[in-house]
Amino acid sequence: MAAAISKAERTYIQTSLKSNPPLRADGRSLYDFRSVLLETGVAPLANGSARLNIGKSPEEGGGGTEVIAATKLEVENVENGDGQDGGRIVCTVTCSPAAYPQLSMNALDDLQYDYTTVLHQILSHPSLHPKNLEIIPKKKSWLLSLDLVILSDAGNIYDALFMAARGALWDTKVPITRAVQYTAKKTGEVVRAVEEALGSESVGSSGLDTRQLPAAADFELMDYWDEGEPLDGNDLWPVCITLNVHETTHFLDATLLEESSVPSKLLLVFSFPPSSASRIQAVRTIGSGELQPLHVQTLIPEAEKYARQLNSALNGKLKDEDVRRNQKARNIFANR
Amino acid sequence: MITFSSFPAPSNDNYRSSVTYPTGLDKDEEFDFDLDNDDFTSSGRKLTCPGEALTSSQAFMRGHGTYVDNEEVIASVAGIVERVNKLISVRAIRTRYNPEVGDLIVGRITEVQPRRWKVDANSRQDAVLMLSSVNLPGGVQRRKLESDELQMRTFFEEGDLLVAEVQAFFADGAMSLHTRSLKYGKLRNGQLVTVPPALIRRLKSHFLALPCGVDLILGLNGYIWVSKHVKESEQEGEEGFDAEAVYSNRNDDIDDATRSAVSRVSNIIRMLAAHFVPLTDTILLNAYEWAVDQDGSIRDLLQEDAGEALVAAISAQL
Repeated sequence: MAAAISKAERTYIQTSLKSNPPLRADGRSLYDFRSVLLETGVAPLANGSARLNIGKSPEEGGGGTEVIAATKLEVENVENGDGQDGGRIVCTVTCSPAAYPQLSMNALDDLQYDYTTVLHQILSHPSLHPKNLEIIPKKKSWLLSLDLVILSDAGNIYDALFMAARGALWDTKVPITRAVQYTAKKTGEVVRAVEEALGSESVGSSGLDTRQLPAAADFELMDYWDEGEPLDGNDLWPVCITLNVHETTHFLDATLLEESSVPSKLLLVFSFPPSSASRIQAVRTIGSGELQPLHVQTLIPEAEKYARQLNSALNGKLKDEDVRRNQKARNIFANR
Repeated sequence: MITFSSFPAPSNDNYRSSVTYPTGLDKDEEFDFDLDNDDFTSSGRKLTCPGEALTSSQAFMRGHGTYVDNEEVIASVAGIVERVNKLISVRAIRTRYNPEVGDLIVGRITEVQPRRWKVDANSRQDAVLMLSSVNLPGGVQRRKLESDELQMRTFFEEGDLLVAEVQAFFADGAMSLHTRSLKYGKLRNGQLVTVPPALIRRLKSHFLALPCGVDLILGLNGYIWVSKHVKESEQEGEEGFDAEAVYSNRNDDIDDATRSAVSRVSNIIRMLAAHFVPLTDTILLNAYEWAVDQDGSIRDLLQEDAGEALVAAISAQL
């Protein structure tokens, strides 16, 4: 989203970037982020949620790029043709009109469609698919809707979206289910038998039943001490690094004015599996500028380095948040 | 490279356990409107809370920022009470810029229209700058020609920043600007900082020159232009009114020291604004001296503790 900028401002920013040492409007170095605020569990009715703000001024109420992400799980009946076996993820990004007051409603729709496409394509990719979205194989599965709202945009929106999405997915708890099967006794009365293992062949089934389909017909929620198990693949969720490329230099976490004074942005999305090497999940270029493939090649290892730092910092923060919320819940419980 | 922190907790978290509201205000606590006392402002300005009872609605009329309930005038915003005869109004602290004629503002062109520009001035409506109220190349007395209308974008185009003065108001409340002074016109050689408009005090001059080689233009609309110092003698003069220079988009050569001074001043302004300190020339000067004494990096100024130290140092000097 290009903010209005005058030519004098643009050249001022560009020459500052090229000066030695490079200088930015707020005195940051090229690879510094503004302060990032993160909180998980902000929406009580969601299965997982997070609120993220980049660059909020410390005392004041406003300022900064603010994103809220929340996930909600729904049951889908695979047999009826909706959903897919093993569950699926649908991402939606909504832009608050207050975040982009200068845009018309149509332009706003286009913008949120762009954000939605990028996020959905990357996060719903099979390589990241969590394993515990399945309820009953080939019958029931969870639909995980990840909704993000952009409350204000002060630059670097893609990084913010991915960090918020990761926070919400990290926070998501999938309810524990148990498959339920109905068997007809010879007397004709219907007795419900509960299968302990999900989808295992039932022992008491009729000898005539040779179908390989799992016998479980439905599921029930188990009595469990928590809302559920965390979503599988917590540490796989990717982080995005936006490199703002100006000639031979690049910098991170651009403000709106900086974004509109560089010709091209390069989005690189990395996932860091704990045991193996990092994976590039996606590469996107945004903007009118031209990026040579050789240049991009040199930028990827750089971006990988930043993404690794971002990833470990984010993991640490999310773990802290879990501790904080446990503490808070315990306090509320103790005060009752 | 990156640090995460938590959102600041609400300062009062007691509402979880118990909620106590004051039950009915004492009569003494109500605002004392003394009709004989014309100097209402000096009798102690107080900030209102939304929902705070100000006075009786039988003796006074309600103005902006108030409503009447149960025969009492009640503030609907947090702000300062103002009284004109029997009219009570509350001017909100956090609001858009309320223009007054003669105010100096910094604005950004949003649209070029026939014979006029639309200017974003942090107000409720975009301001209007007529082609007839700008200085054109070739002397002040020159008539506007059709060719000027055709090349309006050579003077100002979308996104350009300018400093101007509020000239008049239109019937719908939009303000009309003019740049008919050599001090006004297009801005270059610097960067813009935005603060809440309430923080800009009316000063003798809104053009400040700090000794560190930085010029400041404090727009009353909360836009502040921080730029490299231009010597009096080198300012675009009346004699050879040089259209090239006045409407130029090109920056001068700025050395690194000046650039870092501009960044440092910008960060000081952001920090003061975050702590809601009104900006005047003396405060900015003191703050800059303090910041230079601290010998920290420019970025450190935006840290919370540095900001608090800055504000403490400033308020000690006042």
